[in-house]
Amino acid sequence: MLADIASNLSLGLSVAASPEGFLFLVIGAFLGMIVGLFPGFGPAAGIAVLIPMTFGLQPTIAIIMLAGIYYGSMYGGTITSILINTPGESATVASTIDGYPLAQKGRAGPALVMQAIASFFGGTIGVILITALAPSLANFAASFGPSEYFLIIAVGLLMLTTMMGDNKFKGFISALIGFAIGTIGVDVMSGQQRYTFGSPELIGGVYFVAVAIGLFGIGELLHCIFNGQHRQPAKRLRISFRDKEFWPSRNDYHESRWTFWRGSAIGFVAGVLPGSGATLGSIIGYSVEKKVAKDPEKFGKGEMRGLVAPEAANNAASAGAMVPLLSLGIPGSGATAVLLGAFLMWGLQPGPLLIVNDPEFVWGLIASMYLGNMILIAMSIFAIPLFVKFLDIPYVNVVPVIVLLCVIGAFAINASIVETWILVLSGLVGFAMKKYGYSPAATVLALVLGSMAEETFLQTYIISQGTMNLFWERPVSLVLSIVLLTVIVTPIALSILSRIKGGTSKMNKGTP
Amino acid sequence: MKKWFAAGLLALAIGYTVYGLHTLTLVTSSGRPAAGFFPLLIGVLLIVSCTVNLWGDVREWLEEKRTGIVPVHQADPEAEAKADALGVDAHAIDGGPEFGRDVLIVFLYICGFVAIMNVVGAFLAMLAFMLVYLFTFNRAHPVSNAIYALALPASLYGLFKILLNASLPVGPLGL
Repeated sequence: MLADIASNLSLGLSVAASPEGFLFLVIGAFLGMIVGLFPGFGPAAGIAVLIPMTFGLQPTIAIIMLAGIYYGSMYGGTITSILINTPGESATVASTIDGYPLAQKGRAGPALVMQAIASFFGGTIGVILITALAPSLANFAASFGPSEYFLIIAVGLLMLTTMMGDNKFKGFISALIGFAIGTIGVDVMSGQQRYTFGSPELIGGVYFVAVAIGLFGIGELLHCIFNGQHRQPAKRLRISFRDKEFWPSRNDYHESRWTFWRGSAIGFVAGVLPGSGATLGSIIGYSVEKKVAKDPEKFGKGEMRGLVAPEAANNAASAGAMVPLLSLGIPGSGATAVLLGAFLMWGLQPGPLLIVNDPEFVWGLIASMYLGNMILIAMSIFAIPLFVKFLDIPYVNVVPVIVLLCVIGAFAINASIVETWILVLSGLVGFAMKKYGYSPAATVLALVLGSMAEETFLQTYIISQGTMNLFWERPVSLVLSIVLLTVIVTPIALSILSRIKGGTSKMNKGTP
Repeated sequence: MKKWFAAGLLALAIGYTVYGLHTLTLVTSSGRPAAGFFPLLIGVLLIVSCTVNLWGDVREWLEEKRTGIVPVHQADPEAEAKADALGVDAHAIDGGPEFGRDVLIVFLYICGFVAIMNVVGAFLAMLAFMLVYLFTFNRAHPVSNAIYALALPASLYGLFKILLNASLPVGPLGL
C-alpha cells in the first residue's frame, strides 16, 4: 500500500511540480492569502470570482490554482485576526480570541510566525491523511448506490443548516431554493423543459458560476457596504521580520508541541464531516485546547496555545473537506461546493471513479497541496510585511475591483448577458440572505448537488418501486438514515425538553 | 423588511409550484415519476417551510412592535453560529451602523454598468462605472480616482480580452 501511495504521489508531483503547475500554485496561494486578508470576502467568494480567470488553463492546473486560493485564504485570514482583531474569514474567528491579545502585548511577530507554523502543520497533517484515506474511501464508496448518495447529500445539507444556530429553518429554506434553481433547464430523465419560459438561454439550466459569484461575490460585497466597511479608513500597520521580537521563543514551541497534533486531528475530523468544515473545526479545536489545559484562565488573554489550536484545526479541516469532495463527489461547505462546480465545469466528475479514471488530476491536486503548504509557510513568514501593506488599501477602492471581476467574469463564461443579469439578481438575493439570516452556502451547495439529488432520489424511488425501502434495507443506507433522523429529531427533542423543563421550573417557582 | 423578504419567498414558492403543476408532467403513463415530480416535491416543501418562516418573522415583528425593542439587524448565519459556539453576542461580530442607502446606490450603479455594457462595450462600461462610483464615494481624491478609473479597467480588459481571449461586449470604439 505504501508503495502505491509513493508511486501515486510521484505521479502527482510530476504534474504539480511542473513549471506551469508550480507557477499557478504560487499564484493561487498568493491570491488566497489576499482573499483571506479582506474581511467579508471568504474563500467561496474568492474561488467563484476567480474561476473565469482560469479559462485558458488545463483543467488540472486550473483546479490546482483554485485549491491554492482555498487553503491559502486560511493562512491569510489570520493576519487580520491577530493584527486588527478582525477575522479575514469565518474560519479564523477563533484565532482572534488569543491572537489579538498577543498583538496587544507586543507579541504580534511571534503570533504571526506561530500561526504560520500551526497552519503548515495542520495543513500538512491534513494532506497526509487525505493521501491515506481518500483512495480507501473511494474504494468503499464504489459500492454505494443511489440511496446512499441521496442520503449523503441530505445529511450534508442538514448538517450545514444545523450549524446555523437559531437560523436552522432559514438554512433549510436556503437549500430548497438551491434545489428549485437546479430544476431549471432540461430534465435529464425525460428531456422535458422546466421553467425555461421559452428562453433558449435557460435550456441548459442556470449556470452555477453566475449564481455563486452573485451570492458570494456581489452579495458579500453589498453586505460589507451595508456594515460600512467602505467608510472605514485603511489600517496602516508596519511589521518587519528583521526585528528580534518577531520570532517566537523556545517556550512558545515547547508549550504548543501537543497543541499542533490535537488541533490538526480535531480539524481534520471536522473537515471530513459534511457541513461542519473549518469554522466549526477551529472553534472545537480552541475549546478542547482550553479544556485540556492546566491553566485555562490564561486563554483569551494572549495564550499562544489558544492561537495554535484553531490555526492547526482550520487548515487541517480545509484539507479534510477535500476527502468527501474527491472520493464521494460531495462537498461539505460553500467553498468546496464552488470547487465542485469548477470540477464539473472542467468535465471532471468527482466521486469514487475519479481516482481510477483521472489519477493524474487527483494525485496532482494532492501533491500540489503538499507543495502549497510549503509555499504558504514561506510566504506567511517572509512576505508578512508585503501582505500587511495590502491592508493600507481602503475598502472603498477594493469595491470596484470585486464588481468588475464579478461582472466581466460572469459575462466571459458564456458571453451571455442573461447570465450577467442572473449574477446581479443573485447578488441582491445574496445580500438579503446574509442580512436576514439565510445561508447562501446552503443554496450554492444544493444548486450544485441538485441534479445529483434528483437523479439519485428518483432512481431509489424507481428501484424500490415507490416504497423507498432501499433507504433502510441496505446497511450503509440504514446507518445514514439513522444519522439523518438523529440530525432532524435531536434539536426538536431538545427544544421540547427545554420547554418542558422551563415550564416545570416556572410552575415550581409559582408554587407557594 | 425581513418579513417582506420572507413574504416574497413564499410568493415565489407558490408561483414555482403552481407553474410547475400547470406545465410539467408529474407521472409517466407507466406510473413512473416524470419531470414534474421532483419540482413538485421541492415546491410543496418550500411552500410549507416559507409559510412557517413568514409566520415566525411576522410574530417577531409584532413582538418588536409591542416591546419597542428593535435588534440592530439580523446577523448572518455564520456569525450566529460562531457567536453560539463562542458564547458571545452575534451583533458584536456583525453589528454596528448600517448603510442601506449606499447599498442601494452601489446596486443601481452595478445595474447601470450591466445595462450599458452591450451598448457601449465592456471597456467604456467599466470606465463609466469606476468614475461614477469613485466620484460618489471617494470625492476627496479626484486625480487618483481618474488614474485608478482608467488603470483598473484597462488592466482587466487586457487580462480578459488579450491574455484569456475571453469574449467581451464590443462598443462603437471597438473596445
